[in-house]
Amino acid sequence: MRLGPRTARSRRAWLSILLSLLLVIALGADPAAAQKPIRIGEINSYSGLATVFTFPYKEGIEMALKEINDSGGVLGRPLEFVFRDDKLRPDEAVKAARELVIQEKVDFLAGCITSAVGLAISAFAKENKVLYFATHCQTSRLTWDDGHKYVAHTTNNVTQYVRVMARRAAQLPYKKWAHISPDYEYGHNMWEEFSTYLKQVKPDVLYVQQNWPKLGETDHSSYITALLQSGADAFFSALWGAQEINFVKQARPFGLFDKLHFFAPAVGNPDELDPLGKEAPIGAITSGFAWYDEGLHKLHPKLPEWSKRYTEFSKGKEPKLGASWGYASAYIIAEAIKRAKSTDTDKVIAVLSEGFEMEFPWGKVIMRGCDQQAIPPQWVGTVKVNAQGRPIMTDVLEVHGKDVVKSCDEVMKLRAAATEKQKK
Amino acid sequence: MTPVAWRWLVALLIVLLLLPLVIPAFFVLLLIEIAILALFATAFNLLMGFGGMVSFGHAAYFALGAYTAALLVKKAGVAMLLALAAAPLVAAAGALFFGVFIVRLTATYFAMLSLACGQIVFTIIFKWTSLTGGDNGLLNVWPPPLLKAPAAYYYFTLAVVGLSILALHAIVQSPFGYALKAVRENPRRARFIGVNVRRHQLIAFVLSGFFSGLAGGLFAFFNGSVFPDFAYFNKSFEPLVVVLLGGMQSFFGPLAGALGFKVLETFIARQWPIYWPLFLGIVVIAVVVLLPRGFVGLLEARTWRIGPARRK
Amino acid sequence: MEFLAGLFPWITNGPLILVQVMSGLSVGMFLFLVSVGMSLIFGVTRIVNLAHGSFYMVGAYLMVTLIEGLPEHPLRFWGALLLAPLGVAVLGGLIEVALLRRIYGRDPLMQLIVTFGLILIIGTLVLIVWGPDNKSVPRPEALAGSVRILGQPFPSYYLLVLGLAPLVAVCLWLIFYRTRWGMLIRAATVDREMLGALGVDVSRLYTEVFMFASWLAGLGGALAAPTVAVALGMDGDVLITAFVVVVIGGLGSFAGSFISALLVGELQSFGILIIPAISIVLLFALMAVVLVVRPWGLLGRPEE
Repeated sequence: MRLGPRTARSRRAWLSILLSLLLVIALGADPAAAQKPIRIGEINSYSGLATVFTFPYKEGIEMALKEINDSGGVLGRPLEFVFRDDKLRPDEAVKAARELVIQEKVDFLAGCITSAVGLAISAFAKENKVLYFATHCQTSRLTWDDGHKYVAHTTNNVTQYVRVMARRAAQLPYKKWAHISPDYEYGHNMWEEFSTYLKQVKPDVLYVQQNWPKLGETDHSSYITALLQSGADAFFSALWGAQEINFVKQARPFGLFDKLHFFAPAVGNPDELDPLGKEAPIGAITSGFAWYDEGLHKLHPKLPEWSKRYTEFSKGKEPKLGASWGYASAYIIAEAIKRAKSTDTDKVIAVLSEGFEMEFPWGKVIMRGCDQQAIPPQWVGTVKVNAQGRPIMTDVLEVHGKDVVKSCDEVMKLRAAATEKQKK
Repeated sequence: MTPVAWRWLVALLIVLLLLPLVIPAFFVLLLIEIAILALFATAFNLLMGFGGMVSFGHAAYFALGAYTAALLVKKAGVAMLLALAAAPLVAAAGALFFGVFIVRLTATYFAMLSLACGQIVFTIIFKWTSLTGGDNGLLNVWPPPLLKAPAAYYYFTLAVVGLSILALHAIVQSPFGYALKAVRENPRRARFIGVNVRRHQLIAFVLSGFFSGLAGGLFAFFNGSVFPDFAYFNKSFEPLVVVLLGGMQSFFGPLAGALGFKVLETFIARQWPIYWPLFLGIVVIAVVVLLPRGFVGLLEARTWRIGPARRK
Repeated sequence: MEFLAGLFPWITNGPLILVQVMSGLSVGMFLFLVSVGMSLIFGVTRIVNLAHGSFYMVGAYLMVTLIEGLPEHPLRFWGALLLAPLGVAVLGGLIEVALLRRIYGRDPLMQLIVTFGLILIIGTLVLIVWGPDNKSVPRPEALAGSVRILGQPFPSYYLLVLGLAPLVAVCLWLIFYRTRWGMLIRAATVDREMLGALGVDVSRLYTEVFMFASWLAGLGGALAAPTVAVALGMDGDVLITAFVVVVIGGLGSFAGSFISALLVGELQSFGILIIPAISIVLLFALMAVVLVVRPWGLLGRPEE
């Protein structure tokens, strides 16, 4: 580099870099947030494809917060959630967790929708001795294989979710089974849990075919053809969201649902049934939050009123499963703090490890002490079209997670096995 | 560099060294991220700005570095420094393996084959669950207690990144660097004067992969975990955007870009996660249309810092 | 031996193979529709339009809105199919005039990054306007069911794609080789400066080409809407696939895009059945193989 005019320019270059750094400092030196509210740092995917789930979930949280704070808050202090977006990336989630703990100085962490994010935040929590409430993600590894005292899970996990379906499947006379599940950890987890449990409960089942489309596959025609050829009586689908909608739309004209019985835990959710409309898979056995079901109203008289309140709060939207999960999560966290009479991490962990129960408009949720895992009720039903021509879940049966969840002993064995594997 | 420039560099260094004492820990962490991204982007720019080759699959080498470091520490119990030293070597090996095929192509085809190779690396990491943990990634990849504190890791990163950037600067200023620029400007003419075009491009590709892998290794310990999406093409666009924002004709453009990008991301994306992509898109377009030389152009007016601009 | 079990029914079941081949053809035709626009823009303006997937997505979302908004009528679907791509063409025109005109002649990399910025902007706008929920467009009554091919059911809707795409291909050929406008386009791909020197309003030509390509992308999205979930993220999926198809075929070659689209469609249909483990990377592996053997795609020409 030559002397002369460049000196002035390079001077400007360094000066600007310096100024930018000073800017960073200045912006960072904002006064610490008020200490009075109890703050929960929530990390989730508020961008991209996950928003269809996380938007209602967030509304559920906000509705719960309003109720809690309107009735005096927690320990006399308002409860506040600080939201962060992980952009569906686990490394962003860890960064956000760090920021929330170090900068925002939150009392506890919460959130997750993808299993990888949940596990990553859990590892961070364990390392930094911060209590983390996993919410919307479902991998059983969170509180079981990779569980520890700094993580609690406020909704049901894959095992509970899928075993309830397997139980229903065992009641039906289908012997030969195939499946179609997305090729990633969640999909494998789902199929493994379903197939193992079904075999336990109904030993004469035969698994004749496996299909593993990539996550987010848009063209399922070859899998549909394979399923048609499989000779199975029924098939299980761990697909969800847009991918399952794709699959159902494409499979229907091939007559797949006439030939094979369809077991899909996720399809009963309005985020899939509503877009499908006339193309919904009638007769499919599914799981979901059937807040509109008359039978359920008889079991849970407070449910219709809660649903109305949610619709008012969200300015006209219907409740979704995610909304109930957000709502429950906020309340469970509040309850744990209340019972501990403190926001001290160890005291709250002590409360969680003892366990407690809570009543919600949709039933009793058990927070189990040995693994800090929530056990809520679940519903299985059949997809049918209602009088207005809208596909919904009917013939809804309630199964409480406690009837299918793995016992504390089994959980401890899983944890021991996982620790063994890590040592190798 | 001129004595004046050296003085400014030293001043900057002193500021950087003293910063952790005055700013909150969170910002120290942010600076570490910026430093790692600056290294990745500068390595990328060696290929793009100086070599004239755009790679859409560079995240693969970042990921190879990250996973090497993580795997060595977790599964083989290797010390962090050794693992970190191995990271760029494996990444460079990967760059060599794929580079042999990729440099035979030009322009868009080059970019797309590099994308394909990147996705192949991603797929291997994603599917080889027994080794890499699949989409759950590898967790608990922490640096040794000595380097765990934000300030400590910050100094460490500063040292590694600083030395790497000096090395890259030396490469760019070396005869190799000039030959590379000649290849970028006019491959045919370069060939006529006896420069082995393919070899220079391949070497640039491997060097770029080497330093990308180092950045990946640093990131692995910073983050405490590695995930397959480190190799996904979304991540490959990060250095591209950073370099283009910062100014690809300048050696320090990527650095400015990394700083600017991260500052924007941290403050905007945090408040309005839904609108962040919109904002970024507008910024990117605005920079291209209004600031042809990127952020660095704000400082440099009309300068031919390292080489003439790429013109159609 | 899973893939053997997958293979056996195929070898013995002729009609099923035929159905699968036709499915692959439909997918391929579809991919052609979607990628030919990208090829066209590149051929004329030398810009790789990364926002192509976004136009496709807007086409699909417009389809949703039109179907929901228009009154129930047997021709509703066809009306929407007509209007949605026009909406996208208008969007394309606006973008071309307001933005792309300023960057012609700039570094191709800069042009690329501008179209990348468009992806981010359009994607967020779609989220703001249509919300995060998944949407869907029902197939038109006439094509909702299936026909029997050698006893196997085959969705009728795919017949539409199988019929429409070659029709579009033929129309494109006719336009490029039998109309003056098409001749201008072909001239622009060879030497636009000369074309300008001959008194042609190259600027306007570019706008028209861009609008036409956007129309094609919108048509692809509108046609796809009844077969997929209309959701955020569709822009990225389609972009990658279209880009790969175009590159495999060779940038700027329409015949290349056609062949490549068919190849990719069939490979996706059968590849998944034969080698399921690599379904994630099948497309890229194919592209890698092609590029190693033919560095400019199947029918591409070396860049100047």
